[in-house]
Amino acid sequence: MARLRRLLTVSNLLFIALLLLRLIPDRALRVQDHFEYTTYFAIALEAVMLAVTLTTKNDRIRHVFTDVIGFLFAFLCAWTLATAKFKVLNEAVFPPPGAVFQAMAVDVKVMFANIGSSLVLVFRGYVLALVIAIPLGLFLGWNVRVGSAAGYISKFLASISPIVYIPYFIVLLPTFRSASVAVMFMAAFWPTLASTMSGVLGVEKRILDSAKTLGVGHGTMLFRVVLPAALPQIFIGCNQGLSVSFILLTSAEMIGARSGMGYYVNNYANFGNYTRALAGVFVIGIVVTVITFFFNILQRWLLRWKR
Amino acid sequence: MAKIEIKNLRAEYVEKLDRFVALDDVSLDINEGEFVSIIGSSGCGKSTLLSILQGLNFPAGGSVTIDGKPITGTGRDRGVVFQHYSLFPWMNARNNIAFGVKQVRRGLKRRERYEVADAFLERVGLSEFTRKYPHQLSGGMQQRVAIARALAMDTDILLMDEPFGAIDAKNRTIMQELLLKLWDGEERRKTVVFVTHDIDEAIFLSDKIVMLSNSPGTVVKEIDVPFARPRDHAELVQTEGYFKLRNEMMSLLFSSVGDRIGGTEVVI
Repeated sequence: MARLRRLLTVSNLLFIALLLLRLIPDRALRVQDHFEYTTYFAIALEAVMLAVTLTTKNDRIRHVFTDVIGFLFAFLCAWTLATAKFKVLNEAVFPPPGAVFQAMAVDVKVMFANIGSSLVLVFRGYVLALVIAIPLGLFLGWNVRVGSAAGYISKFLASISPIVYIPYFIVLLPTFRSASVAVMFMAAFWPTLASTMSGVLGVEKRILDSAKTLGVGHGTMLFRVVLPAALPQIFIGCNQGLSVSFILLTSAEMIGARSGMGYYVNNYANFGNYTRALAGVFVIGIVVTVITFFFNILQRWLLRWKR
Repeated sequence: MAKIEIKNLRAEYVEKLDRFVALDDVSLDINEGEFVSIIGSSGCGKSTLLSILQGLNFPAGGSVTIDGKPITGTGRDRGVVFQHYSLFPWMNARNNIAFGVKQVRRGLKRRERYEVADAFLERVGLSEFTRKYPHQLSGGMQQRVAIARALAMDTDILLMDEPFGAIDAKNRTIMQELLLKLWDGEERRKTVVFVTHDIDEAIFLSDKIVMLSNSPGTVVKEIDVPFARPRDHAELVQTEGYFKLRNEMMSLLFSSVGDRIGGTEVVI
């Protein structure tokens, strides 16, 4: 009985409402409605939600799941009503959800190839940025005098959008691809450098004293003491750098790219195919969410020593 | 020659461009294997004295030598236990100790360092907590790990800055007895300099107690503690002369505070 009452939620009602939208006749559209794809998607979501509702005992997780999925159902209802059913929105720019899901399904292979291409781009720029910014930040933060000057300079440089540098990258770097990597690099570099420096300056004096009394050498001090002590702060910059990288992905892939999710969206938007462009936008959203999720797991694992 | 020799030591600290004298004309000899407590009220410079011995602070005048050599900085001949934050929060108990051991004994392999760490954790009664991070341990347990680390590093000298100051009374007694047991049990007793503001603690632990007066800190009196070892709290209180010594120290401590009443600042 209690389980049955658990099922009587707003989210489940919205799911049924979404399925019932089928009963409302479509307006004539230039693009095909493909409502069945919306249905498949909704059923998949509902299955996930039911599985979570019936298995998890943690109320907080269950609520977050049902609320988020309920919101998605409400959004899909409103979207379907505003497009296919009542044609409130301009159909050229706002295709119905079914059409977008259909485009995703049809293009799934192309999408994966493009996601791969984008991730390689982001990964190269991002890893390069971290590998340079973190040791440099440690060094600059540790040498207080150089560090405070570098702090002001990096704040100034960080305020310039990496997009501004694009023409220079194109002139200076051998390939368009490397220019795109450079944009990703710049997006992650400054926040990581700044947070590493402030992390180093914020390390508790008592921790440093304790390390000194153990007689640690310079290298050990920097990499086994200062680095882990500053890590919580460093992660703030890494997180910021990661999200800025993804935001600038589209701009980076405007530089002569022939692949990548940013290119995919740009390309179809230029040709007026908003169904595909929107499909690309959603896929980017999903990919970024998944990556952020795993990044957070990594972060929690590395900072498991924090209370 | 004494293990640690302090001659006419003067220490200053600067706060907002004003210079303050923390220690003035402090002279003191500490012998090898001796347990010496430095006692005084807050702000008497006892922690400054210890930080000079640690090599984290430097004298403004006079000299401090260990084995006849002046202190030039922190060194691997001195193990240190602070009141807080001796341990690194990102290392578990075993790694904290193994990290300390690695600094003094370069030749050991990782597995051997872990063995040393585990052995010392057992000696402080924390065998079951080897993989716990400091924030998962109580204040008393953290200090046990810090003491285990200092002992595992096997330095000649132990410098302890109010290590039990933040621990509740019952556990403090337990920790004091544990510390004495460990120190007594060593083949060659370490030289210990122990800073405290607790008279009972000083009497229970020490061979010699050095009393410092308030700002600037100078040595008021050196007191030899005559009671036989091994010591036990319950027995010690019943020992003849215990309360006489305690009262004498009490009045000395208060009179050195009283000197400052009517002055600009009283810190108790």
